[in-house]
Amino acid sequence: MSIELIIGAWVATGLTLFIFTFLYKDNPLFKLAENLYVGVSVGYTIVKTYDTVIVHLIWKPIVENGEWSLLIPVAIGTLMLTRYVPKAAWISRYAFAFIVGVGSGLAIPRTISSFILKQIEDTVRPLLTLVPGEGVTFTWSLLNPASSLNTIIILVGVSSVLFYFFFSVEHTGPGKVVARTGIMFLMIAFGAAFGYTVMARMSLLIGRLTDLIQFTDPSYGSPSLWLVGLTILTLVVMSRRSSSKQHKEE
Amino acid sequence: MTFAERMLKIDRRIIFLVIGLCTLLPLLYPVGLPIKISPEVRGVYDHIESLPEGSVFLLSLDFDPASKPELHPQSISLLRHAFRKNLRVIAMTLWVSGTGMADQVVTQVAREMGKESGKDYVFLGWSPGGTAVIINMGQDLYGAFPADYNGKPTKGLPVLQGVASLRDVNYAISLGAGNPGVEAWYVFGKDKYKFELGGGCTGVMAPGLYPLLRSGQINGLIGGLRGAAEYEILIGQKGKAVAGMDAQSATHLAIIVLVIMCNLFYFSSRNRARQQGQARA
Repeated sequence: MSIELIIGAWVATGLTLFIFTFLYKDNPLFKLAENLYVGVSVGYTIVKTYDTVIVHLIWKPIVENGEWSLLIPVAIGTLMLTRYVPKAAWISRYAFAFIVGVGSGLAIPRTISSFILKQIEDTVRPLLTLVPGEGVTFTWSLLNPASSLNTIIILVGVSSVLFYFFFSVEHTGPGKVVARTGIMFLMIAFGAAFGYTVMARMSLLIGRLTDLIQFTDPSYGSPSLWLVGLTILTLVVMSRRSSSKQHKEE
Repeated sequence: MTFAERMLKIDRRIIFLVIGLCTLLPLLYPVGLPIKISPEVRGVYDHIESLPEGSVFLLSLDFDPASKPELHPQSISLLRHAFRKNLRVIAMTLWVSGTGMADQVVTQVAREMGKESGKDYVFLGWSPGGTAVIINMGQDLYGAFPADYNGKPTKGLPVLQGVASLRDVNYAISLGAGNPGVEAWYVFGKDKYKFELGGGCTGVMAPGLYPLLRSGQINGLIGGLRGAAEYEILIGQKGKAVAGMDAQSATHLAIIVLVIMCNLFYFSSRNRARQQGQARA
């Protein structure tokens, strides 16, 4: 096994265990891993961005291929840096105006089409199906998203939730029933979202524990076993030190 | 203090320990609980199965190492399936922090399946702009990515023969852990350039993407580690996702039991407090 893989296994195991120590209590090992994570992420992003944008998308095309038209977006982008000079900061508004204008122009029609019109189209479906030869039919299958029963459930759900967020009318009498129905639908949606969130978080834990089990292998030098012992020992020493310090202060 | 009150004030570290053991033990001693294939995962699988050899398959790995446990197994299974079907694979990422990992997974699976970079697949890497990259690719793929991740010019690569823009892609899948991800690929990609789109996502994102699935805006959805496990079963190559399913079931069971117990203890202590209040009155 290559030395890079072995070093990687030791670093990954150590940082995972340091982060897990937070479950016991906040401590310097956790802080070390947390700060290292932030630092490495930012450093990686800066290096990759510099290499891709400055070197490959700006410098090389201009210098090697003579694509001088690229100087226009570079100039607009450079205007952003005037934010750091208070007297010239107003110039950056041109760059922002360009970004906001282009961004809105691209995003608004596409978002309306994708998330509003398409979803309305899917929500407003015929409640009954007209089948040639069979006449008007009603399908009861809950498992079929296009069934008549599901169409009615969606209609009731959408209408009641919209009514719940309609605050111009007091929710009393029949309105209260509709608003309560809306709350029920919202609770089911929140429950489903929470269930999926739990599943996702457990998946992350499974991922880390799978790696820790893999790194108990002697071919890696059993970093999981060594570092679990070392981490626990460090936590015990730290805990004793802090408790003896407290005693002295008292 | 009653038993219920004591349980409600239990040290949270005991709960962490219970969850930790429920995860660790099934990983060490797997039971092999059955995994049922959901229609949304089958939708992605069936579409890839229906593609003829040499079709263009775009896989956008829009995640970073923070979502690796869920989306890495999905990407491995999808790449294995695509390579087995001899599709022309175009891989890329919209997340700068996931570039190295995406390159590693594509290269690893390609090597495993005996595929050659530039001929059978290409990893385009990352380009700045997020959603703007999708629009740019829709107009001119070579303008968005003049060179691949290894610096080779994309123009002239055999794998990209006949591919000028997103309109020439037969099937695209975004494995998204946030924004830009599946939604961005629909809004700025499929809706405009009319190619078939599937999705893969973390568990947290899945409920938000079901409306897109229902309305047919995406033709399939692989949700979280569970979805990855289903896909591994479908392609007949079990991996890390299937191995984690026993642990997933055990932790879910433990959480359900904890939720029920907490509710019972809560209502029990509330009733007791009410009774004491009435007795004093």
